[in-house]
Amino acid sequence: MTRQTSIKEALTMETDQDQETIVDLGAAPDGPAGGGVIETRRMSVYYGDFKAVADVSLNFASNQITALIGPSGCGKSTVLRSLNRMNDLIATARTEGEVMYHGENIYADDIDPVEVRRTIGMVFQKPNPFPKTIYENIAWGAKVNGFKGSKSDMGDLVQEALESAALWDEVKDKLQESGYSLSGGQQQRLCIARAIATKPDVILMDEPCSALDPIATLRIEELMLELKEAYSIIIVTHNMQQAARVSDKTAFFNVKLNEKGMRTGRLVEFSPTDQLFTSPTEKDTEDYITGRFG
Amino acid sequence: MTVEAPERKATDHFPNREEYQSLLNRRSRWARLFQLGCLLALSIAVVALATLLYTIVNDSFGLVAVVNENEPETLVAGLGYDPETTALVDVEYDELVGLLETSVASGVGRRLEREQRFYEDRLVFESEQVWSEVCSSAEPPAGCTAGPRDHATVYALVLERVVVPDVIAAYELVPSLVNPEAFEAEVAAGFEAGRFGEHTADEASIEWRSWFNLTFLRTPQSATPEVAGIRTAILGSAWLILITLLFAVPVGVGAAIYLVEYAKPTRLNDFIQTNINNLAGVPSIIYGMLGLAVLVRVFEPFTSGAIFTDGVPPAENGRTVLSAGLTLGLLALPVVIISAQEALKAVPDSLRQAGLALGATRWQTVRSQILPIALPGMLTGTILAIARAIGETAPLILVGAASFITSDPTGPFSKFTALPIQIFQWTSFPQVEFQKLAAAASIALLLLLLTLNAAAVILRNKYSRRA
Repeated sequence: MTRQTSIKEALTMETDQDQETIVDLGAAPDGPAGGGVIETRRMSVYYGDFKAVADVSLNFASNQITALIGPSGCGKSTVLRSLNRMNDLIATARTEGEVMYHGENIYADDIDPVEVRRTIGMVFQKPNPFPKTIYENIAWGAKVNGFKGSKSDMGDLVQEALESAALWDEVKDKLQESGYSLSGGQQQRLCIARAIATKPDVILMDEPCSALDPIATLRIEELMLELKEAYSIIIVTHNMQQAARVSDKTAFFNVKLNEKGMRTGRLVEFSPTDQLFTSPTEKDTEDYITGRFG
Repeated sequence: MTVEAPERKATDHFPNREEYQSLLNRRSRWARLFQLGCLLALSIAVVALATLLYTIVNDSFGLVAVVNENEPETLVAGLGYDPETTALVDVEYDELVGLLETSVASGVGRRLEREQRFYEDRLVFESEQVWSEVCSSAEPPAGCTAGPRDHATVYALVLERVVVPDVIAAYELVPSLVNPEAFEAEVAAGFEAGRFGEHTADEASIEWRSWFNLTFLRTPQSATPEVAGIRTAILGSAWLILITLLFAVPVGVGAAIYLVEYAKPTRLNDFIQTNINNLAGVPSIIYGMLGLAVLVRVFEPFTSGAIFTDGVPPAENGRTVLSAGLTLGLLALPVVIISAQEALKAVPDSLRQAGLALGATRWQTVRSQILPIALPGMLTGTILAIARAIGETAPLILVGAASFITSDPTGPFSKFTALPIQIFQWTSFPQVEFQKLAAAASIALLLLLLTLNAAAVILRNKYSRRA
C-alpha cells in the first residue's frame, strides 16, 4: 500500500472507496445492524493465498428473495457457499470477517457447521438427488437431524415437503421409485423438497435453473415465489432476467484486479431489484445489465 | 472411392486432393497396423493363459498302469459276488469292515479305530476293556467322541490298506487320448526291462485315472501318492481366507474412508498415500519376513494363543494359521486400501455436498450415501486382492506352513498347510505321481480362486442393482 504509482493499485483503491458507499447503500433499507436474517460484515474469502472475494457487506432480509448476479469468476457462488459454511469443504478455503445469522457469527469457534447447514439449506446447480427412492431422498435429511415422529409423521413430512416443492401430484404414486427416474426439472424440485424437509430458515440456491429447460425453469421460479412466504431465499444466477423476475433485492458483483494482479470479486451495488435494473447507481452495473460486458 | 469436394485453394495450408489421398492411405495403413499389433498382444495373452490351463489339465487326467496288492475283483468274488456285475465300491459296509478285519494288522486296526470307530455299538479291533481305559485317560483319542465312519471313508480305507494300489507308470491326458497303445507298449517295455521291480506284467492293469476327484479333495495328506489328498490344505486355505478377510477388509476400508473422506491434503497425508502405493508393490517374501519377525516371534504369545489360556497354549509356537492369515492380510492391505479409495473417489462429490447441506455429519453422509454406492467397487477390489494373496506361497513358507500335516486345522491357533504350499511341496518330489497330484491340487486352487472371483462379481451385480 506504500507504493502509489501502480495502476492496479489505483484501481483497487478506487474500488475500496466504492465499497464504502456500497455498504451504506446495501445496509440502508434495513438499517445497519439488523432486520435481516443473514448479514455479512466485511467478509473476504480466500482459497489458499488467492483472495476470491473481498470485503462483502450484505444484509439479507427475511422472507425475501435476494439475487446475487455478476460475470463469471466474480465470486457470487463463493459468497453464497460461505453463508452456510459449505466452503469449509474446500481444504484451502478461509473466510475472514463475520457472517451474522440472527446476530450470531456462524464462523465463531463454538459454532458447529453441521448446525449451520441444517438451518441454512442449499440447492445446487446440478440436480443431485441421492440414488435412492423419492421417499428416502426426502426422509433422510429429517432422519439425520433426529426426526422424532412416527412412520406416519414421516409420511406426512414427505408429502408436505413435496407439496411445498410443487412435486407431490407428479410423484405421489411412485414414491418408492428412484429419484433418478425423474426428469431434470423434477429432480431439482425434489432437491428443493429435500432441503425444505429439514425445516430450514434460509434456502441458498446456486444457479438452480442453469441445467434446466425454460419450462422447468419457470416452474422453479414460481416455486421460489411461493416459498418466500415461509423461507428467506438467496439465489445465485447468471440469468439477469431471472433475477429481475423473482428477486426483491439484487446484489451485483464484479471482478477487479488487485495489487498482485489477482482477480478478486467485489460487491459493486446492492439495491432493490427494480432500482438496480432501472436506475443503477454504478457505471459497472449499468454496463453489465445492458449487456455491454459479462 | 473418394468424397468429391471443391478443389481447395493453394493458400489454406491443407493438402490438395492427390496429396490428401496418399496421406489418407498412409494413415489407414498405420491404423490397420496398430489394430493388428493390439490383436497380437491379445493373442499372446490368450495363448499364455491357455497353455497354463492345458498344462494343469493335461497332468491331472490320463492313463495309469496300476499294480494292486489285492485285486478288487478277487476281493469281490471272495465275498460271494459276481465280479462282472458288482464293483468293490458297491459292497455292504459290514463287508468292507470285514475285509479290513481280515487283511489289516491288528496294531494298525486299533490305531484306525482310535481315530474313528467303525460302529456305534461295538468295537472291531479294540477290546472293550482297553477302549474304556484309553477313553478315560487324560488325553482320549478322537475316536472316543467322534461318530462312526461312513461307507465312503471305509471304502477309501479298504483301497488304501487292502487293495493297496501302486501306480507304476502314468501318462498325460492328450497322449492318453491320442495314442493309448503307445502307453501300453511303454509299460510292457518297462516290464521287460525290469524297471518295475518285482512286479510282473500280468499283475498290472491299465486304467483311466482322474487325479482330481472327490476322494482327493476329501482325504488328508499322505506319503503314499495313490491315497494322498488335499483336505488339510483346502481347510488351511479356507482359514487363511477367513482371517485375511477379517483383518484386511475392516482395516483397509477404514483407512480408505479416512484418506478419501477426512484427510486434508497435508504433507503427512501425501506421504502416507505415496507409501501405501509403494507398499502395494513390495514383494511378498518381504511380507513373509515381516510375518516371521513380528507375528511369529514378537507376538508369539498372541499368535500361539498363549495369552488366551491360563495353562497350556493351543500352539507350541507362533507358526499358526493366525500368523499366516495376518501376514496375507498385511500383504493384501495396500491393494484393498487403494481399490477402496478408488471406489470412494468414483462417488460424485455432489452427493457429499448434498448430504452435508442437509445438516448431516460427515459420518452420516459417508455411511448412508457414499458407502452404499462405493460398496460394489470396494467388494470387487477387496476380494480380488485377497484372492491374489491366497495364492501366495513365499510368505507362507517363511511364517512356517507345515509341509506335511494330516490333521485338519481346528481354529486360528492350529498348525496348517495351504494349497500353494502343498503344490510347491509335491512338485519338489521326484515321483511322477506327485507331479500329477500337484496338477490336480492346482485345479483345486484355481477353482477356489474362481469361486472368490465369482463371489466378487455376484456381490457387485447384486449391490449395483440395488442402487
